[in-house]
Amino acid sequence: MIDVIEPGLETAVQDYPGRKGQVGLGFPPSGPIDHWSFRLANLLVENPPNAAGLEIAFTGPTLRFGEDAAIALTGSDMQATLDGQPVSVWESVAVRAGQALAMSYSLQGGRAYLAVAGGIDAPLFLGSRSTCVLASVGGWEGGPLEPGQTLPVGAERGGDAGRRVRVEARPTLPRDKTWSIDCVRGPNDDWIDDVAHARWFGEGWMISSRSNRIGFRLEGPDWTFTPKARDKGPENGDDPSNIIDHGYPVGGVNLSGQTPIILMNDGLSLGGFINPYTIPHSEFWKLGQSMPGDTYQFREVTVGEAQERRRAIDALCKPDAIES
Amino acid sequence: MKFDEPRFAPGGDQYLQVSFGDDATLELNFLALGLASATRESELPGIVDTNPGYNSLLVEYDADAISFPDLERELRALADGLGPSDDLELQSRLLYLPVMYLDPWTRACVDDYREKIAEREYDPDFVAQVNGLEDVQQLVRTHSGTEHWAVTIGSIPGLPLLRPLDPRCAIYSPKYNPARTWTPQGAIGVGGPSTSIYTVASPGGYNIIGRTPVLVFDPSGRYSVFNEGGVLLRPADRVKFVPIGLEEFAYIERRMQDGTYEYNFVGYDTFSVSAYNTWVATLDHEGRF
Repeated sequence: MIDVIEPGLETAVQDYPGRKGQVGLGFPPSGPIDHWSFRLANLLVENPPNAAGLEIAFTGPTLRFGEDAAIALTGSDMQATLDGQPVSVWESVAVRAGQALAMSYSLQGGRAYLAVAGGIDAPLFLGSRSTCVLASVGGWEGGPLEPGQTLPVGAERGGDAGRRVRVEARPTLPRDKTWSIDCVRGPNDDWIDDVAHARWFGEGWMISSRSNRIGFRLEGPDWTFTPKARDKGPENGDDPSNIIDHGYPVGGVNLSGQTPIILMNDGLSLGGFINPYTIPHSEFWKLGQSMPGDTYQFREVTVGEAQERRRAIDALCKPDAIES
Repeated sequence: MKFDEPRFAPGGDQYLQVSFGDDATLELNFLALGLASATRESELPGIVDTNPGYNSLLVEYDADAISFPDLERELRALADGLGPSDDLELQSRLLYLPVMYLDPWTRACVDDYREKIAEREYDPDFVAQVNGLEDVQQLVRTHSGTEHWAVTIGSIPGLPLLRPLDPRCAIYSPKYNPARTWTPQGAIGVGGPSTSIYTVASPGGYNIIGRTPVLVFDPSGRYSVFNEGGVLLRPADRVKFVPIGLEEFAYIERRMQDGTYEYNFVGYDTFSVSAYNTWVATLDHEGRF
């Protein structure tokens, strides 16, 4: 069992790949944004890939462990200590019953991931333990952690201390807060004119502080449109960015008026705005590790290139990423 | 307008969007739902999920099981196999849903908006006016005078997007600008050509004209009529709004609270697009109730 002493800014139970196959009923997948770091945390404590862990945003929690356990932290370094002693990121660590793990603000990156051997034993909802903030279901009691909660840990506990992720299998965070993000055109790229496409791929886009797991809002130059966006039936809506309600891909760059919003893991499943571009799955670790105020530079890739990049990350999330 | 051939566009590395046309006719939605159903039944490898829109279907796939070009080819064949929309028969249950139109809760919500955000008319007056209806009573007759078609479910979990099936009951209404910051749970909203039911208290942009005491999203598991995720309606279901008064509202609300409410679903018929089109062709589309 794990007692939540302080929950941190936004700490929630997630599993990978989350709640798949339910978007037809309006359920987003949820799950960890930086799925690369999340998967490595499970590998460090020898959990199965679908074991649930914690996603920890910006400022971490204080947690007390009820039993001896192997744990691992990956992703952002939030200056974790165990009874006052520093805890390394990217390594499995032994925790004894009664010890408290205290985390602070992130030194680099946006989100840390905590895996505990056995996994967080939250109830399954539609096949997943991930937290769905849009409907207050899944995860632990349907939302981010709160003080005083007690999280059960699964019984199947392997995992030794002292296992490390090989350096070459870890994501590398940029030092200058500028991120190169692969981006695929479509499905609605023909609503945007060439000038706006050139701005999207040519200029930097800043992540707004009004960003969350539902959507990342971006600030940048103005948008201009093709005639298709203006000469359309009234059922589309009044704004050039309005379209007749359609399904939204996770990663869709959803243009709401003049504001592009990347549809994140807890995003809306459909709506009446265009998606001129889609950010592929391979790039989500970068989204998860970026902070408001950081800058994205978008780089056009094909569907095939995006799929190759995702396969390359999947190949790193295997047991041979770990050394003891 | 319906496209001569369905169009295919990628949504990143995991999605493919099939579009049947560029307006919001029911015919295009019948095709989108027909393709969703055909895709599920085909047991194509690599299909993760299907997500219908008004005139499109977003297919999520696993690129390790099927490539984008192969998926496009398979979906094109399935879409061709649907034939004209007239040939479609869709599984469709009918739900009778009690609604108190012109209720005190949505009125209080509009009053609150007027006080805090912007001046506007009372929503039912506004919707009646922009649709050339005599008064709010005719709005109630119009809105409750037809079965509504579930175009799709989503945006947030379980939220139905509905459309009147009887063209004599079509209404069109501009949405709020700026949006409301809150809407009571169970509010019935109309926006554009659509109707929706607010599954939970939330911000919103549809004009609110009534409220149902019956939950359409309930993940608690109290009622077996809901699917596993607590979602009541599926795409291609139909909803008939039944006008009720304050006393009936209170009675149903109590039965909802003690878990004894009987959901009124009719499940013995399928929806035949050709029978529907034949019926629609007999109607005077300018007629109103």
